[in-house]
Amino acid sequence: MALKREAIEPENPALNASRNFNLPHSPGIRAGEFIFLSGMVAVDPVAGERAPGTVAAETRQILTNMAHLLESAGSTLAQVVKVNVLIYSMLEYDNMNAVYREFFPVDPPARTVCGVQLSGGSKVEIECVALA
Amino acid sequence: MRDIIAAPFPGLDLRRQYGHHQSLAIRAGGLIFCSGMVAIHPETGEREHGTVTTEAHRIFENLKLLLDSAGSSLDRLVQVHAMIYDRIEYDVLNRVYCQYVPNAPPARTVMSVQIEAGFKVMLDVIAAA
Repeated sequence: MALKREAIEPENPALNASRNFNLPHSPGIRAGEFIFLSGMVAVDPVAGERAPGTVAAETRQILTNMAHLLESAGSTLAQVVKVNVLIYSMLEYDNMNAVYREFFPVDPPARTVCGVQLSGGSKVEIECVALA
Repeated sequence: MRDIIAAPFPGLDLRRQYGHHQSLAIRAGGLIFCSGMVAIHPETGEREHGTVTTEAHRIFENLKLLLDSAGSSLDRLVQVHAMIYDRIEYDVLNRVYCQYVPNAPPARTVMSVQIEAGFKVMLDVIAAA
């Protein structure tokens, strides 16, 4: 039997950045027992607009939105197995890490952090793989 | 079901060593997801900055320790994101890389990014459990 593959979307439509920004991706895809999320930048959950700010504020907004998206799909942050954090400069690693740890209090996922060029004035982008 | 894979040697536990909020590796769904591996001494956790060559050797040796302890191996690598500080040393990385995955090497993407602590190389890998 072929593995089931389906797109997932957030219950809050303002957080469907794929649709709102007319981008060729789904917010996430469930395939078998995994959920793969598209990279998320800070988006305001009311207006649905990009919400650039400090690294700390962006990290907090992204992970809050990520929790909502995973919960919409029947998963949770506790089910995340791997996170990739993209940050505009590794100099701000500690600012990201300090907020990040609040969202994964127990047995945090595996993680890779690297400094890359992001677009739209975003300082942080986060993607993850979670168990469905 | 998601299991934490404990660090087989204390130096590999970057959460304890450096406060990085991450587990070394997680087993889930038949795969092992590893945190980005850099050139640190597996016993002391000391950062071993060096050439692309020396860092890559240390990284692969660390991955070998980790995967072997988890019942997997370098032969079971599935996907690798090979992060390098500058693509100009791509060939140098390849020369070391081939030595560790000579047969049916994993899928790989090489990325030129800024890595923590001024390291030149980092390997972000997924292996089959």
